[in-house]
Parts: sequence; C-alpha cells; structure tokens
Amino acid sequence: MNPLYVWLRIKHLGMLSAFCTLLLVVGACTAPVAPVEPAESNTTTDSTENSAGEEADPFAPVEASAEQVVIRVGTGDSGEGLAPHQEIIRRFEEANPDVKVQLEPVSGNDYYARLLTQIAAGDAPDIMNIGDDAVPRFVESDAFIPLQSFIDDSNFDTSVYLSGLLDPGTFDGELYFLPKDYSPLAVYYNERIFDENGVDYPEDGWTWDDFLATAQALTIDDNGDGTPETWGIQLPGPWTTGFEYWVAAAGGQLISDDGSTYLGYMDSEEVISAVEFYQSLYTEFGVAPPPADMSAFGGGNAEFDNGQAAMRIFGRWPQSGMMENPNIDLGVVGVPAGAERANVLFWGGFGIFSGTEHPDEAWRFLQFYAGPDGAEVWKDWALPAVTSVAEESGVMTDSINGVWIKELDHLAPRAYMSTPYWGSSADPALRSALEAAILDPEADVAALMSQAATIAQDELEFSLE
Amino acid sequence: MHKKVRRETWAFYLCISPWLIGFLLFVVGPMIASFYISFTRWNLIEEARWVGMANFERLFLRDAKFWQSLRVTLLFTLLYVPTELVGGLGLALLMNQKIRGIKIVRTIYYLPSVLAGVAYVVVWMWMLNPEGGLVNGALAVFGIQGPRWLTDPDTALYAIWLMSIWGLGRTAIIYLAGLQGVPPALYEAASLDGARAGRLFWNITVPLITPTIFFNLILSIISTFQTFTSAYVSTNGGPLDSTLFYVLYIYQQAFGSFRMGYSSAMAWILFVIILVLTLIVVRSSSRWVYYEGEAT
Amino acid sequence: MTAIDLSTDKQPQSVEKQRRPLTIQEWLITGIVWAVAALFLIPVVWMVLSSLKPDYQIFAMPPIIFPQPPRWANYREALTYVPFGRYTVNTAIISLFTIIGHIVSCTVVAYGFARLRAPGRDTLFVVVLATMMLPYPVTMVPLYVLFNEIGWVNTFLPLVVPAFFGNAFYIFLLRQFFLNIPRNIEDAARIDGASVVEIIRYIIFPLSLPAMATVGILTFQFAWNDFLAPLIYLHDQQLYTVSLGLSFFRSSFQVSWAYLMAASLVTMLPVLIVFFVAQNYFIEGISLSRVQ
Repeated sequence: MNPLYVWLRIKHLGMLSAFCTLLLVVGACTAPVAPVEPAESNTTTDSTENSAGEEADPFAPVEASAEQVVIRVGTGDSGEGLAPHQEIIRRFEEANPDVKVQLEPVSGNDYYARLLTQIAAGDAPDIMNIGDDAVPRFVESDAFIPLQSFIDDSNFDTSVYLSGLLDPGTFDGELYFLPKDYSPLAVYYNERIFDENGVDYPEDGWTWDDFLATAQALTIDDNGDGTPETWGIQLPGPWTTGFEYWVAAAGGQLISDDGSTYLGYMDSEEVISAVEFYQSLYTEFGVAPPPADMSAFGGGNAEFDNGQAAMRIFGRWPQSGMMENPNIDLGVVGVPAGAERANVLFWGGFGIFSGTEHPDEAWRFLQFYAGPDGAEVWKDWALPAVTSVAEESGVMTDSINGVWIKELDHLAPRAYMSTPYWGSSADPALRSALEAAILDPEADVAALMSQAATIAQDELEFSLE
Repeated sequence: MHKKVRRETWAFYLCISPWLIGFLLFVVGPMIASFYISFTRWNLIEEARWVGMANFERLFLRDAKFWQSLRVTLLFTLLYVPTELVGGLGLALLMNQKIRGIKIVRTIYYLPSVLAGVAYVVVWMWMLNPEGGLVNGALAVFGIQGPRWLTDPDTALYAIWLMSIWGLGRTAIIYLAGLQGVPPALYEAASLDGARAGRLFWNITVPLITPTIFFNLILSIISTFQTFTSAYVSTNGGPLDSTLFYVLYIYQQAFGSFRMGYSSAMAWILFVIILVLTLIVVRSSSRWVYYEGEAT
Repeated sequence: MTAIDLSTDKQPQSVEKQRRPLTIQEWLITGIVWAVAALFLIPVVWMVLSSLKPDYQIFAMPPIIFPQPPRWANYREALTYVPFGRYTVNTAIISLFTIIGHIVSCTVVAYGFARLRAPGRDTLFVVVLATMMLPYPVTMVPLYVLFNEIGWVNTFLPLVVPAFFGNAFYIFLLRQFFLNIPRNIEDAARIDGASVVEIIRYIIFPLSLPAMATVGILTFQFAWNDFLAPLIYLHDQQLYTVSLGLSFFRSSFQVSWAYLMAASLVTMLPVLIVFFVAQNYFIEGISLSRVQ
C-alpha cells in the first residue's frame, strides 16, 4: 500500500476528527446555562424541576416514562417568545404528572410548510397554533376537531374571554380554536415629535380628516430638498390584511358574505375610496415615506423607530421594542374613523389535530393553555385573552395597553372568514393593486380594483372547482 | 472479447449500484408520486382528486402569473448564467495566483457564498436600500442617482442579480480545482516557445478546463432556473411580480395556496424545460469539450 | 504494483521568485486580487458592524456606520437565544457523515460513468442529471411520507443516509475530473491485474485530491446551511440544526437583526475553517509528469 496515500488518508481523518472535537468543545462552551449536557440528548435530568421562581429552559429534553402520554405542540413562536409556552407547560405538568408536553417550535415564516407536510403524512403535532386566516382552510379540510363536546364535558366556561376573541376560532358556527394572542390595529405616536411641533396628541374617536391634518402638520421638510426629515405617518405599505381596516372604516367589504364573489365588493366605491385615500397619503399629500421593502410584513420602514416619523399604524407586535427605544416617547391611540368606526383583529389560536391519538389529554392541555391558567402567564408577554386576568392585571385601564383592548369593541369581520381561499385568491390580487397604487401616483385606482376583483374572482373559482 | 465486455458491463453496474439503489429507493418514488400528483387537486390535507389535464390547461391558457414567472426566470437565467461562467472563471484565475496571502484571499472570495442565506440576503436588502443604502450612497459620491432597486419593478431583478454575483465564490472554487489540474509542464513548454499570457490562456488553459466549463454550464442552467432563496427572502416575488421566480411561484402555490397538484404540474413543466436545454448542451459537448483522459 | 511517484510539483523557480522583487505585472495582479477581495468583504464587514449595534441603529437613516457603542453582549445573547451549542454539534454530526457518504459513494459511481463502458451508460448519466431538475418543494412531500412510513422521521437518518447513495451533483463533478486523468496509468495498472477497487483507491483518488477537496467543502457547506430538509424532518428541538436555529431570529412579525447577524457570522466560521484548511489540497497539485 502506498505510504504517501496512507499518510494522506490518516491526515484526512485526523484533521476531520480534530475538527469535530473542536466543534464539540465549542458546542459545550456555548450551551445554555441550564443543566443539560449538549452531547447527549436523552439522558439528562428533567430540568422542569427548577428552584421556585426560576424560568424553565424551553429546550430541555422531554422524557416520558412508560405510563405517560406525550402531547406534541406546534407553534410559530421563537426565541424569547417560547418562554411563556414553557412556563405554562411546566405548570401544567406539575398539575398533571401523567402527561408530558413536547414543544415543537418553528420560525413563523416556514411554519406552515412544515405543518402541511406533517399533516399530509398524518404525523402532525396534537395541538397546533394556527393564524386566523388559515382557520377556514384547515377546518374545511377536517384537520381539526370541533371543541364543543370537550367544552360541554368539562364544563369549560367560554364566556371568560374578552368580546370577539372566540370568533376567529369559529367556523360555520362551530368552535375549533381557543385564542392564544391577538392584536387589533392602532396608531402609535411619538409624543416628542408632537411636543416639538406644538401639535396636540390625537384623541380617541378622531376621523380620517383629523388624521390627515395631523400628519400634514407633522411632515416637515426643513431643508427644502423635497424629502421630509420628519414624516407624518408611517404606513404599512402593501400589507393586504392590514388594509382591511381601511376598507372597513370606509364602510366597505372585500367579499360577499357568503364568500362567493369579489365582484361588486372589491371593486366597490367604498373600497376604491379607501385605496385612493391610502394612496394619497403616499403620493398626493406625501405624508408617508415610501415602503422600503415591499415584501416585508409592514413595508419594512424604519422611520418611526428612528424618530423620523410622528405616527405609525400597525399591530401591537413591535410595542415592547418601541418602549425601549430611546428615540420614541410612546403614545397609542385608536385608529381614526372613516365613514364608520371600525377595526380588524389579528389573531392566533390553538386547536386539536384531527389525527391525534390522545384527544383527551390534548384537551386537558388546551384548556389549561388557553384558559385562565395560561392567561396568567401570557399576560406578561402579550395581551391576555381572558377578561378576569386582563382586569386584574390593570391592562384594561393602562394608558397604552388599554387602548388596544378598547379597540376590540369596534371589530369588523375580516374577509377570510367568508372563504377558505382568501390567501390564494384575493391576497395576491389585492397586494398587486396596492403596490401599483403606491408606486404610481397617476394610477387609475378604479381600474386597478376592477382588475384585482376579476383576478381574485378567477382564482376563487379555480379553487372552488 | 465477449467475456471482457460482459465483465466491464458488470463492473460498471456494480460501480454505479449505490446511486442506482438510492435512485430507486429515494428518488424514483417521489418523482413518480409528484408526477401523479400533477394530475390531481391536492391541498395536502384531504385526499387528492384526479383532474386530468386541468392543471396544465390552466397553466398554459389562463394563468398570467405562470407566464410571468417563466419570463422572469428566463430573463434572469440569460443574465446570470454567462455572468456565472465568465465571472466565476475570472475569480478563479485570481484565486490561482501565486502571491502571498492567496489562501486568505480565496477564503474571502468564498465567504459570501457560505453566508448565502437569510442573513446575507438581508444585508444586501439593506445595502440596496434606495434611501441611504451603501450602494446608492456610493453612487451618489459620483453624482449618480441610484435606482430604487428592490422596490422598483424595473430594477428589482437586477438587484437580485447583483446580490448573486457575490456568491460566485462557489463556482470559482470548482473552476479552481479544474485549473489546478492543468499540468504546469504544458505552460512551461509553451512559454519556452515564446507564448505570452494571452496565448497561454486561450490555447492551453481554456481547452483543458472545458470539462469544468461543461460542468459549470450545466449546473448553472439547472440551478439558476431553480433560483428561490434570494427572492423568497428579499422580495417574495414583488414588486408587481417582477421577481416572481418560477420555483418561488411553485412554493407559494404549494404551501401558501395549498395547491400541491398545481405546483407539481408546474414543477414538471420546469423539469422538461431544463432537461431539453441540458440535452442540447450535452449533445453539443462532443464538439467543444476536450477530455485529457480520452474521448468517451 | 508499479510504484507511482506522487511528488508534488513545486516549481523549481519558486524559491528564486521569492527572492527577487516583484515585477510591475505582479504588483498589478496583487492589486486587482486584493481590490476584488475588498469588494467581496463589504457585505461581511457590514454584517460585523451590524451585529454590534442595537437593532434600531442598524437601519438608521442616514446610516450609522460604527456602532455607538459596540454591543458585544449581542453575541452572547444571540448564541444563547436558542441552544446553538447543541445545534452546532448536531449539524457537525450530520455534515461529517454526509461528507464521508458523498466521497465514498460518489467516487465509485463517478468512476463507473467515467471509465467503464456498458450499454445504457450514457442514458443513465442523463438520468443522473435529470434528478437535479425537479425542484425540491415538490418532491419534498412524497419523500416525507416515505420516510414517515419507515419511521425515520425525527432522526438524522433522512438527512444522512441518502448521501451514501451518491449525489448527482458530485457524481457529475467527479466524473468530469476522472475523464481528465490520462488513461495510461490505469491501463498499466490493469495490465498488472489491478481490480477496479484498487484502481480507484490507489490511482484515481490520490490524483483527484483537488476535486475531492471540492466535494468535501461543498458538501460541508451545503449540509451546514441546509434548511428545508431539517425543517421538516426534525421535530425534536434537541435535534435541530444551526440553520433552524438561525431561522428563529425571524418571526413572522419582526426580525432580531443584530442577533441574526451575530449568529450567522459565528455559525459560518466552521465552514470557513474547513475551506481554509482544505485549500492545502488545491495547492498540492499532483504532477503527472513523473509517473512511471
């Protein structure tokens, strides 16, 4: 055997193993402080036994003894957002030693790809977190079990929830999902910019006219170069589902109630006026900065975060980051009313997979997760869904968080509720129309919407074939 | 003679048996399955429903986005494949220089293609920001008003092209391996005969790396037609579908609109297109690819 | 067996070259090489700078170049946001086995296509190429169903085992290289009675080290960055890979930019190290001129 060849092989393998050892060492050093050995994944102690008050490690391995049932839970939350999940799981397991819960998180963008693949193979988690507009789709396809019989059997009181929070989880009159988290829209504003320019803070119940006037007053181009240094309002670009607020506030709707047609709805006068108003904020009045990233959820703009925009209309998700942001003195107010006062709700919930092998245990966990017990934990992370918890934590009257809760009184139904095919039919068409309107001040909005309605209708009919 | 042929045939099939077995186990099944699925309507949750040619019919006759995605992908391929072939070779030539620190230089060239993923695309999205990104900022220094890149339907595709150029390191190292395989003795002999750098390049280097060029050309065609990640992360097909790559549209239809049958049909159309193009290249290869080993 | 001299061909003039000053041509080349390198580094430099800023400084307009002040804590926080340590180990295991699988299987298969004649060979080769032409999202689901039926889901097996059955990309790559190796050595070995296996191990493999190095590097990189396959096959968080870990920085509503940059930079280091080290196999070109 050729010695050089042997030597090369040994060097090869030697280097490879040295490298792997290096990786293992690195792995050991960067492992989290929780009492877990990185190299072995199944022989660790059950780290849910923590000293009182310490947060459980979301990534501790799950062991189940022979008599225990393992429930799998899928969610699109990530990172720190997993901590409340794990805390609830810890509490649940303490109270229910015969059940072990395994959390399977996937980053939001790719969550559905994985979920669908698993469902196709019949291998989905027992409990799954679903976003609002996916509800009709999944329910129509029998992927989830109706919860009513569970609710009756265990006397679960569904009136504990704030108004309107069970609706997104309902389809065809049956309840399939319990709420996890939710957010309507609201207008954030930067008090500092208002103060500097002597403009009064916006007040609840204001109108589109008030809104426009405020935005105009706060769009300031000091150096006259055509680009304002301060913008009045940061809008979320061609965000389609967020746009439903504008439609609702204009008194319109995008689809017929029975979900059969967009024609006459998406191209109606009300919708056209909403799009024209939205467009004018960008183009004619120039109070909104152009979207930095058309594909990003919300337009990808950073002006508000940089203290260069006086207001921002969006959901509650970035609020905690804003409160820590030194550029912003945060205030929040409800959305302005157009022809009507309306808002739309964004919502996520938990349901039970129809192919589950442990429906009873899954239900036990679900009612803990989404009920008052779980809400106690959720309240530290998001708006709690349970009324009593919300009241006790003072969220209802809080000057910032209370605004969000009050907006729940003005909810208009969202378009997806009428059809399982919103995502494949209307969403792309509406998006294109909004993009075109924003990009081109001369665009004929009526023509755009008519085209959008036709395309959406065609897609809808394809889906219904 | 017969026995020898038979032995060689046997040896051949034995050699390729790992691939053949893997093919039969892991590849053929899913391929046939997806072919079947393309004639059905399937939302991944309920049972698939046979619809015959309906998917294909709709694609060719009534789906404007299908044609748009084909257009986008074709345009990008025509733009990027030559870039990859020529640019990759250029980069490899630079990587092949015997100067100090060349190992570090090679790592630097390769670096962006290692990062290729969400973070990398995101950095580029920032750099291409029309308001104050690095690219437009640099152009402004020369008094040029930069375009709106990813937010402008006319320039978005070029923005992605720009982004992809930084990933040429991967193609370059394949070229590099090819360049390293050219026997230096040839260069020595030729320079002794008085040949200069240009001659050396065209008459020695290029012919001898035609196998590598062939490889890169085919791979480039196959992979560029399937561009996905950069568009998925940066534009999701917009604005106004100007970056709606074919595979992105497939993904959207499959996992966004739950139309697995429809997207499988699309995938098979793509398959045919790529196959035809590849066959053309393969057929032509006997004319321009030179293997030092022997003619096969 | 005839002895083969695999001495590396370091050009005799190289020693002399280093002693005399560089010519203008060499300065020019050096200049170009490093100018291009600087260009390639720009995105990376930006990532490094961004990784040290608090999120709201990253997209500040006008741009803030240097973090004010640098937030080194970002690295620690990013790497413990999810257990990257464990993910790194998992990914390393997968990558290691995939490299071995590819090198072993693809070499043999590529040799078959390159050197052995048989009926149906060229058609089969086109089939090999064809397997790369169907986009993954479409075969992903049937493949998952298959692996689910045999119970391999939630293990590393679906990610690693197929590597031992060849991979079209590397088969193609190696075939090209093998075709370029002069036949005379092999013919000599054949006359001496060497079997196919021996030819591969003692002749082909050593002569193709640059190609093998390429296969190793690219395999490692792909396995390290692979996202879709780990996404659907690995359910248990204990098994997640680095790419899955990185995806957690992007939730549907917002991105933790600084953490993403920091973590991406750190997690790409192993691939770079492998590349840097594997370069040895590029430089040690094998001389074919002194073969007996």
